[in-house]
Amino acid sequence: MNLIFNDINMKPLRLPKRIAALFVLLFSVSFLSAQSLTVEAPQIVARNEVFKVVFSTNTDVESFSRPAISGATVLAGPIPQTFHSTSFVNGKRSESYQFSYIYTLQASELGKVKISPASVVIKGKTYSSKSVTIEVVAAQKNNSGNQGQAYSGDPFDDFFNDGSPSGNGHGTITASDLFLKLSLNKTRVVKGEAIVAVLKLYVNPGIGVSGFEDIKFPVFNGFWSQEIQTPQTVNFSRENYHNKIYNSAVLRKYVLIPQQSGNIKIGTSELVCQLRIGSSGGGNSIFDDFFDHYQTVKKRVVTSPIMVHVLPLPSGAPASFKGGVGHFSMKASLSRDSVRAHEAASVNVVISGEGNLNLIEKPDLRFPADFESYDVKTNNNFNSGIKGSSGSKSFEYPFIPRSKGNFVIPPVIFSYYDVEAKRYRTIASDSLRFKVTKGDDSTAGPVIQGIDKKDVATLGNDIRYIVTASPHLVRRGAMFVAGWLFYMIIILIMILYLFTNALFLRMIKLRGDVRRTKNRKANKIAGARLRKAKSFMKDNDMPQFYEELHKALLGYVSDKLSIQFADMQRETIQEILQEKGVSSESIKAFTDLLDICEMERYSPKAEEGAMGTIYEKAIDVISNLENKL
Amino acid sequence: MKKTSFLFIILLFATAAFGAADTDSLWIKGNDAYSMGEYDKALEDYSEIEQNGKISARLFYNIGNSYYKLNKTGKSILYYEKALKLDPSGKDIINNLEVAKLKTLDKIDTVPEFVMATWIKDLRNLMSSNNWAYLCLVFFLVTVLLLLLFKFAPNPGQRKVSFIMACLSIFVSVVLFLFSFSLYRNSVSEKYAIVTNSFSNVKSAPSTDGNNIFIIHEGTKVELLDKVGEWKRVELSDGRQGWILSSDIEII
Repeated sequence: MNLIFNDINMKPLRLPKRIAALFVLLFSVSFLSAQSLTVEAPQIVARNEVFKVVFSTNTDVESFSRPAISGATVLAGPIPQTFHSTSFVNGKRSESYQFSYIYTLQASELGKVKISPASVVIKGKTYSSKSVTIEVVAAQKNNSGNQGQAYSGDPFDDFFNDGSPSGNGHGTITASDLFLKLSLNKTRVVKGEAIVAVLKLYVNPGIGVSGFEDIKFPVFNGFWSQEIQTPQTVNFSRENYHNKIYNSAVLRKYVLIPQQSGNIKIGTSELVCQLRIGSSGGGNSIFDDFFDHYQTVKKRVVTSPIMVHVLPLPSGAPASFKGGVGHFSMKASLSRDSVRAHEAASVNVVISGEGNLNLIEKPDLRFPADFESYDVKTNNNFNSGIKGSSGSKSFEYPFIPRSKGNFVIPPVIFSYYDVEAKRYRTIASDSLRFKVTKGDDSTAGPVIQGIDKKDVATLGNDIRYIVTASPHLVRRGAMFVAGWLFYMIIILIMILYLFTNALFLRMIKLRGDVRRTKNRKANKIAGARLRKAKSFMKDNDMPQFYEELHKALLGYVSDKLSIQFADMQRETIQEILQEKGVSSESIKAFTDLLDICEMERYSPKAEEGAMGTIYEKAIDVISNLENKL
Repeated sequence: MKKTSFLFIILLFATAAFGAADTDSLWIKGNDAYSMGEYDKALEDYSEIEQNGKISARLFYNIGNSYYKLNKTGKSILYYEKALKLDPSGKDIINNLEVAKLKTLDKIDTVPEFVMATWIKDLRNLMSSNNWAYLCLVFFLVTVLLLLLFKFAPNPGQRKVSFIMACLSIFVSVVLFLFSFSLYRNSVSEKYAIVTNSFSNVKSAPSTDGNNIFIIHEGTKVELLDKVGEWKRVELSDGRQGWILSSDIEII
């Protein structure tokens, strides 16, 4: 670490005017740009110290109205001074103009010097300076010594050795003359609460510091730390520390956020200062002074370790607590109000405020079930400051809706720990309503193909809802199978059976009487016919014989099979006989016989002997059928 | 014939609904209270119906749900089991019983049943006792009709077929009757109980002096074997037995 030493020390005024003018020049370069009235004054002065207050502006002043000064006596002033310079740098001409009023003051009392705003009129416009308050503390011995010496010495001496220890040069440098201090704005914090740590170097104004080396900055174990001020140059300013005037310089400023609870020790930091101390052996010559009259002394300064008490966050953190400690607000919004299906959109959640913004995790956001959601993008837009980080942190939740309809994203809930109120606060955004319109099919097509089918995720386990339909209440223990009704019905069915059975039997009996008598008589009728045929055979009346035989055969079958005589077709008879299980040979014998009868009835040349065999055949066939039917 | 049996069924429901005007309003009141999340009120209404001597699987199911929502797991399991006794195949009941059982503490291995027995049980549980009974009657009627056909069919082929069919039909009818009656027996039996106390000591003898054999927790189902005074002898589904205080359990 290389620090550029730049000692802009507000020295007590002990300079001739020309030097003062140069001084003013050095001082005020940085104030030239703005057209306003600036005031330059030390923050702290010692009692009886002579100091100056400079009001300056960069244009011609028409009039200057004096400020009211209380607590100090005006030794001189306001002394107006103008300064004009023109310079050529690389062929470019730049001009600067400086107009100042210088007061020389001395405070004789401890307390405060108040300087009210002075105002100037420039081109008709009035500009006012800020009011200034200067603290007056008890004078230190060194300072008075210096002062005494200053007026007696050569002017060059002072100019070239500005800030050098003249009076103190021979003495040793004590711990109160030069020390390094790490100060914290608080040492009792809760986890996550920001602490500001400042590493400062304090130097007795009588000692000149020419440089540093071997700097070891503190290590903050157990903290998230960030440097919030890392000055490239060391700027000393006057500061009252324990009622002593010191030149102090901020070396580093950190913001620390404890990451764990308990007592955390912050280690030491150290630095070696190069100090210029006037050597005692120097002559009185101007050259002695000008050249090497001083010797450089190195001194190591070390901070003392500091203990920080970090309390854990109180229990009972809400589920939506994401580690935020500080004070925050939240806003949730959609990137678009209307989204088309299969098009990407996003929800933006912005958490802004002060606290450990950098450590806040993303709040939970529940998308409707068939939305595809992607990784959350985080954007940081905050600066580290004395309250941790301030600014905003935004979370972008990208999603693609896969179906059209109206959807509601439930409110985003975010909890943080409020350090000041010492409790958790929960903030919720509004629920986001939006409409998903039907997507473009041409673009949706290829997208859909890429969709993976997913199992329906089980989100929770709960019982099913109650039955709200009719309860179908019955008496306790009443069941159909155990009731009288069941058995009644069985008995009823049995009764029905018996009844139907009886009914059918009766019907069959009524119908069956006719048939059965016919059946029973079939044999007799056939026998009677055959006997008749036999008598015709004896008479040798062939046509009568065959006719009677034919009748006997058909009549028998008709009676036996309960077939109406009109229905007597050869095919019907054959079918019915087959159904009754009569063999085909018997059927053939029967039909052959019928054929013979029909043929012989009308045939003129009949043989007598044939009648006898035919008759025998007919008896055979009928007896055969009688057995089967 | 079919018409008359339907008429009987309708008559049956009509008798069940008869005089249930107040239970109907209680039912609706209970359902409303449940939907508003006032489970204790819903439970009161349902219980009043039960106290009136009216029961149904749906009533027990709703009571079980109310108990579940009131975080009384043991009671909710008791009522789901009661509902299952009346409707062994109720899918919602089985589902909710499973959910409620997740909250119980005891994990007891069940002795596996004979596979055929499980199949037959599953078959039996497909329908309620009443439905089996109705089917049984239908098959009985069919049997009778087939018998008539057998007797009076004009040809022997028809007679043969109708005889075989009648035999089958009467067999089915008897099986269905057995199913129905078995379910009825199940529903009126008081063979099982649920532990409703948050925990219960099971002792080796029916007295407070008995040694503690094991501890069972709310929601566990036990089989009742015997009774001596205030004590009941129970068996867990893994076969372990002991005596438990009657007040710790409730019969399903």
